[in-house]
Amino acid sequence: MFELFAQADATAAGFGQYLLLGLVLGSLYALIALGYTMVYGIIELINFAHGDLFMLGTFFALGAATAVGATTADAGTGTIVLGLALMLVGTPLFCAGLNVATDRAIYKPLRRSPKLTVIVSAIGVSFIFMNLGLFWRGATPVKFPDLIPDTNLLGGAGSVRFTLKDAMVLGVTVPVMIALTVFVKLTPLGKAMRATAQNPTAAVLMGINVDRVIAVTFAIGGALAGVASVVYGLYIKSADYQMGFQNGLYAFTAAVLGGIGNIPGAVLGGLVIGVVGELGKAYLGAKWSEALIFGILIVILLFRPTGLLGARTREKV
Amino acid sequence: MTAVGRYWVPGLFAALFAYPFLPVAEANRGEQFTILFVYALLALALNVVIGYAGLLHLGIAAFFGIGAYTVGILTVPFFPFQQSFLVAALAAVLVSALVGIAATAPTLRLRGDYFALVTLGFGLITLYAIRNLDAITEGTKGLNPIAAGPLPGVKENVDLSALKVGDDWGARWYKYPYLYFVILSALGGVMLLLRNLERSRLGRAWVALREDELAATCMGLNPARLKLAAVAVGAGLAGLAGAFYALALRTTGNPQAYDFTLSMIMVCCVILGGLGNRPGVLLGTLLLMGFDRIATNLLDNWLQEEFDLGGGAYTKVSGWKLIIFGTVLIVMMRFRPEGLLPEARHARELRESDDQAVDSGQKEK
Amino acid sequence: MAVLSVRKLTMRFGGITAVNGVDLTVEKGQIFSVIGPNGAGKTTVFNAVTGIYEPTEGAVHFEDQPLVKPLKGKTVAFALAVGLIVGALLLLLAVNVEGLWQAAVRDNYKKRDDDFTIGKALGSAASYIGAHSGRALAGFGLGFFFGVAGTLASWRRARHAPDVIAQNGIARTFQNIRLFQAMTVIENVLVGLSRSIATNPLLAALGVGAHKGNERDAERRAAELLAFVGLAGKHNLIAKNLPYGDQRRLEIARALATNPTLLLLDEPAAGMNPSETVELMGLIRRIRDRGVTVMLIEHHMNLVMGISDRIAVLNFGQKIAEGTPGEIASNPKVIEAYLGSEEVS
Repeated sequence: MFELFAQADATAAGFGQYLLLGLVLGSLYALIALGYTMVYGIIELINFAHGDLFMLGTFFALGAATAVGATTADAGTGTIVLGLALMLVGTPLFCAGLNVATDRAIYKPLRRSPKLTVIVSAIGVSFIFMNLGLFWRGATPVKFPDLIPDTNLLGGAGSVRFTLKDAMVLGVTVPVMIALTVFVKLTPLGKAMRATAQNPTAAVLMGINVDRVIAVTFAIGGALAGVASVVYGLYIKSADYQMGFQNGLYAFTAAVLGGIGNIPGAVLGGLVIGVVGELGKAYLGAKWSEALIFGILIVILLFRPTGLLGARTREKV
Repeated sequence: MTAVGRYWVPGLFAALFAYPFLPVAEANRGEQFTILFVYALLALALNVVIGYAGLLHLGIAAFFGIGAYTVGILTVPFFPFQQSFLVAALAAVLVSALVGIAATAPTLRLRGDYFALVTLGFGLITLYAIRNLDAITEGTKGLNPIAAGPLPGVKENVDLSALKVGDDWGARWYKYPYLYFVILSALGGVMLLLRNLERSRLGRAWVALREDELAATCMGLNPARLKLAAVAVGAGLAGLAGAFYALALRTTGNPQAYDFTLSMIMVCCVILGGLGNRPGVLLGTLLLMGFDRIATNLLDNWLQEEFDLGGGAYTKVSGWKLIIFGTVLIVMMRFRPEGLLPEARHARELRESDDQAVDSGQKEK
Repeated sequence: MAVLSVRKLTMRFGGITAVNGVDLTVEKGQIFSVIGPNGAGKTTVFNAVTGIYEPTEGAVHFEDQPLVKPLKGKTVAFALAVGLIVGALLLLLAVNVEGLWQAAVRDNYKKRDDDFTIGKALGSAASYIGAHSGRALAGFGLGFFFGVAGTLASWRRARHAPDVIAQNGIARTFQNIRLFQAMTVIENVLVGLSRSIATNPLLAALGVGAHKGNERDAERRAAELLAFVGLAGKHNLIAKNLPYGDQRRLEIARALATNPTLLLLDEPAAGMNPSETVELMGLIRRIRDRGVTVMLIEHHMNLVMGISDRIAVLNFGQKIAEGTPGEIASNPKVIEAYLGSEEVS
């Protein structure tokens, strides 16, 4: 352990490559983290099932691509584009619908129960999602086809590679985050969301339909997880039914790191976790990188539970 | 309380003690039961933390693992220590309790959900440490063989066939009963120990703390110390369970045995049976783990023989394990959060949380 | 002798000053009342005295000792011990615990008949750490610093904690009753008695020692206290099922169980009917006669005027008057404060 610089490609280019990879992965974590953070901001629930929702999303995305024949070796460009479009539209809808349905069926009847009751229910949902994933695609990891080529966009000269796939990740995640920020800041529904997050009782008194706001929050959180799952599938190209737990925890760490309930915080946290994870893999070895991230989670919770950007300290006793 | 309610636990223990002497006894079943007792011990340990002190701990498997590996390190022949199991088990209890205190002390200030997360992270980090520290834990190979004799001066294979009453049951069975009896006795001992603890001032102080921390503090109770005591007792017992686990398997096994899933299944057992209620926790563990370890195999064999359903995961009962556990959690939380055999106070607390939230006007620091 | 003296107590919450420079002195054996309109800061004073809040400014002295725990040698020693342990742990991580184990244990015991001694292992461990002394030192230093700093920081937070103050001999009741609702009546009192039950819980769990006798003794004392406040015969009822007046009395019994020198009662008569209030006055006097100094917040003027030895009046966080009931009743400032508040409300 702590064999610093043992396996690392300790050149500036190596560092740059890890940094870049970390940022790309980090923007993925950020998308998942947003779902955690928004739900937590509204109903103070650590939604343990969110990572598994993301896992089901990747399976759905693969199913959508297969359905139009985009995954066959001889698929034409048109079919592939159609497949991609279907994935990008269908998966977020699927995840949003599933998330809202879960909330309605499982969490809503528990709104007035002790917080830990709801958390335990969320763990139960996580188990069920995982089992559904197992039924859907079996226990062995499933492979995604190469729908987006791995072309290096930086030319062959430099040793840092920035591929079309990397560009795809940023090209999807960045606009989605901007859209979300605009939505929350400027639309009436977004304002209602922020109001509910700050004080649900006052929000009800102001005539805000809190149930609707919660439903919308779950829908948006689910849709973001759906987008993340498509991007993840195209980028990592492998998925299995157990991946939700770990990716979900990474994303949750990101949300806590940025300040839970805080939307820009989740993005920042995601990027930091992505970069730290990749650098950890490079310099501490892959097997300690996970421990490093959960170590960060613990340290943050202990010393700065409000996170990097979290100013909101609504303490419900 | 009816007579059945009062006497089923002693009755159950009596039946389990008698089981090896019955003509229906099977060696395989005995082994499975022995593991079940170990998990019941672990669930009772978790119950101290969740049920008594009200701390949602999601990393109990870590202490189970620490206990198992302590025994492994102290008894395997390729390490120089080679202590008897008794010494090793005592060390396992102490090490787990100390790790529990050390890992929990900095987290006491955290609120409930953050505490749950930190314990989750602690469990994962412990698992990674077990898996990755090859020089100490032998990684995925596990530490083995673990020395057999659980009590000094007695070999593991005590031949009980002299006591045989049926035909050849003793011959199949004699390999196991000694360990079976040792672990069952330990389970019974821990049940009694926890009963005494519940009725002591410590037990009452835990209830008071869980119900109203501020009021309890104003009665002169130190909340940090009480919570640490609960974690120390819980972690120590979980370490004992881990020690027995390693003893029963003769190896620490695959590190996967100490992962998050185990922690969560133990939470399921405690919640299903009844938070804070020892007989309930025992029942919950026997139901869930009995289902998981014994009933699913029987059902699967039967289904395959009768219907020949093919190989898909959903055609096996064992494939539905997580759905069943998840549904148990959700249904219990929704309709009976106090568990199948509720502890009287928890039932009152969980049913009344609504109006408590309304009139807690006193602000806390 | 002054049991309690509050000096220039100021409590600020954000921009709001709830209590502003209040001085109070409660003499031993007194019944001392604090009155004032709603929002005058009475409960805030109680919360500052019982350690729920830390005073923004000013000090609270109990039996002429400051309520804040002084830093003792024991605490420093404990912090140093924690520092050493955390330091040792980080040292192990920093030098690579696997390598250390390999050097100390595995390399000294390669074959079954190798002569392994703890001394030899420690020697190898020391030389391994010596070979990585830079990292070892850095890890140890870091761990030591965080261990000591963390322990001292949590000590600093805890030195004004309600449990320490309760142990020193100040007990209280709450304006909104805070019983352990799901427990029985006698269990509530037994929680209050916790600290006077001598048995070590671990020995009790093992069934060793005089546990049973101690418990019976505690139950006897609890029964006495319940009889004292007038709850005899209700031992096994669930606390929250008691009528309101009984809940108030149970809270008093629970507080008395901690064996206090000073008892703070926060609106003990709230919600009681006139006959219950009269009983309560008798009870408060009997508490005083047991040698417990009583300080109470109350709106019920008959009760306050009837039993108090001294009364302090708060308004808008400031003390506007203090004196005997007769002096207070005729004090123009007090009358103005009450009538003024009446007009507003």
